[in-house]
Amino acid sequence: MKKIITGILSIMLLLNLAGCGNGKSGGAHVFYYTYSDTYISNVRAKLGDSFNKMDISYHDYDSNGNQTTQTEQVQTAITKGAKALVVNVVNTGSDDAASGIITQATKADIPVIFFNREVSDKVVNSYKNCVFVGTDAKEAGHMQGEMIGEYLLNNYDKTDLNGDGKISYILFKGEEGNNEAIYRTQFAVEDANNILVNAGKPELEFYDISNPNKYLVDKNGQWSAAAANEYMSTALTSFNDANNNMIELVICNNDGMAEGAITALSSVGYNTGSKKMIPVFGVDATDAAVELIKNNRMTGTIKQDANLMAETIAVITSNALNGKDLLDNIDKTYIDKGVAKVRIPYSKYLGQ
Amino acid sequence: MDNNQNVSNANKRFKVNKNTIIEFLIDNSLYIFIIAAIIAIQIISPMFLSIPSIINIISLSAANLPLALGIAGCIILTGTDLSAGRIVGVVACVSASLLQSTGYANKMFPDLNTMSVYTVFIIALAIGGIVGLINGFCTAKFHLHPFIVTLSTQLIVYGFLLMYLMIGNNNGQSISGLDSSFTNLITGSILSIGETAIPNFVWFSIIITALMWFIWNKTKFGKNMFAVGSNPDAANVSGVNVTRTIIYVFTLAGILYGVTGFIEAARIGSNSAATGLNYELDAIAACVIGGVSFVGGIGKIRGVIIGVVLLRIIFVGLTFLGIDANMQYVIKGLIILIACAIDMRKYLVKK
Repeated sequence: MKKIITGILSIMLLLNLAGCGNGKSGGAHVFYYTYSDTYISNVRAKLGDSFNKMDISYHDYDSNGNQTTQTEQVQTAITKGAKALVVNVVNTGSDDAASGIITQATKADIPVIFFNREVSDKVVNSYKNCVFVGTDAKEAGHMQGEMIGEYLLNNYDKTDLNGDGKISYILFKGEEGNNEAIYRTQFAVEDANNILVNAGKPELEFYDISNPNKYLVDKNGQWSAAAANEYMSTALTSFNDANNNMIELVICNNDGMAEGAITALSSVGYNTGSKKMIPVFGVDATDAAVELIKNNRMTGTIKQDANLMAETIAVITSNALNGKDLLDNIDKTYIDKGVAKVRIPYSKYLGQ
Repeated sequence: MDNNQNVSNANKRFKVNKNTIIEFLIDNSLYIFIIAAIIAIQIISPMFLSIPSIINIISLSAANLPLALGIAGCIILTGTDLSAGRIVGVVACVSASLLQSTGYANKMFPDLNTMSVYTVFIIALAIGGIVGLINGFCTAKFHLHPFIVTLSTQLIVYGFLLMYLMIGNNNGQSISGLDSSFTNLITGSILSIGETAIPNFVWFSIIITALMWFIWNKTKFGKNMFAVGSNPDAANVSGVNVTRTIIYVFTLAGILYGVTGFIEAARIGSNSAATGLNYELDAIAACVIGGVSFVGGIGKIRGVIIGVVLLRIIFVGLTFLGIDANMQYVIKGLIILIACAIDMRKYLVKK
């Protein structure tokens, strides 16, 4: 009996494996740092559409936030006969992971397209068939800072709820040790301060002077709505209208955290769509954030264009598969000088 | 046997008499530490014990309590449950997707009218219950350690969650835009103290806790659970259906994760694949801090509540003090370690 069951199970498993393989061993192999990232999932959906439209066969991998997993997946894909590697590298802290992938790809003479999570110029230059498609990590922070500064200049008195002449802010950081999070945290405040000071206003003031970091970070490194929500509701217990020290500005590293903060604000009667609103700024322009801005519950976000990112990757992949120059048909203004890095521009989004 | 018992009892009495004060201080060092910490935080940051802050601590605790109560049952069986967080995640996402407001631009199922909150609540309980049932069934029938079973279901549930998030026109985005019938039920308020509203889910959590207290202490099932936890063979000999008890405990735990997921969906308002991640670890920590022992057969509802509240006090307290996140890990780790060491010590003395 047991043997029969085992037999049936193994046959099912084999059939399953064959089904997964789809017989497409060549084509593009795409490695995502994690499927759980909302922005990356959006890129994944759009990239799938673009590949289908261009009739490119592809295979997706979830590295699940683990560089070892990813490196092993890349190895396996190469042995399987991949024709192009599209890699959203997990470890961005050092060059080792990315250059390990380059070493493998060079041996097998397969083009590599890194995207989203940045690899260094040195890595990209070390292999002629390598490009990076991403954004300028600093740009989102600068743009958010500029957006906040401009918003405050136009709405200073309205924002300064207690009329002390200063704006108190809270800032939610997505994770420690991630460049995007570091730059956004730094420049959002610095650039806003520059604009304010130039206009003769005082600098922003972190709501809690006893916190030397001047930010609150998601300890799981997930940029999560839940973390922002819990920090926000905790902060609101001692910083509120009743104490005349209400937090007057909310800056978030991404839209997910902004959503969490808005949920906490609305439980104390703010940001429910009426006029009683604390300005909240995010980054990404997720569908949910766009909707919140439309409903007057959020102020602004920085659009990271998933569509354009996916299309650009698809074009480069097609170039790679057809043996053309990798950067054929790519807008030259997006390309960095001296290194094959394509920068998809961010844009401000304050609602239509 | 009897002789030994007497000798050890006598020893114990002797020891206690000799070192009563020291024993008392060590056994209660956790409580002493908490009280000292609360006083210190209160002095440095006077808003810590204000009414809004206390209600915040209560509501943060209430959100995690059902999950911890579920896991506590598994721990009493000398098991654990690693799938809890992911079950919360999948229930939160499914609940949210079925309860997005009609006309919300990025609705996952645009043609679906917003369902009745109560129907979705039943669905949430069912999803949690089914996964719990699978956990319990595999543990009991195949004699596998729950660590392995729930490790597997954790992965399976996460896989389904990722697939679920890609369907409809969602493309892996976070699910929000919840219908007001849902958010009002969970985060709305029927009672305020001063200016501060108490969110409704606090009441749900209290009802569930009372229910769980009744199940643990007053029902045959509860007694069987403790019997199986302390010694499954003895329980079996004395006529307890061990298999069925294990299955029930895990199913009940799954249902409680379902409740947590349902509440979480509305409480946070934005649900993604990261929802619920690592929740089980906090819940397990809360249980062991509160004296639910991995030795098996030991634990009280009161302990679970204390554990959950304590972790929340640490979170809120450290946030109030503006202590660096890196240091928060160290403090949390030390507290878990010390709490368990003290707990084990009590148990060894008893033995």
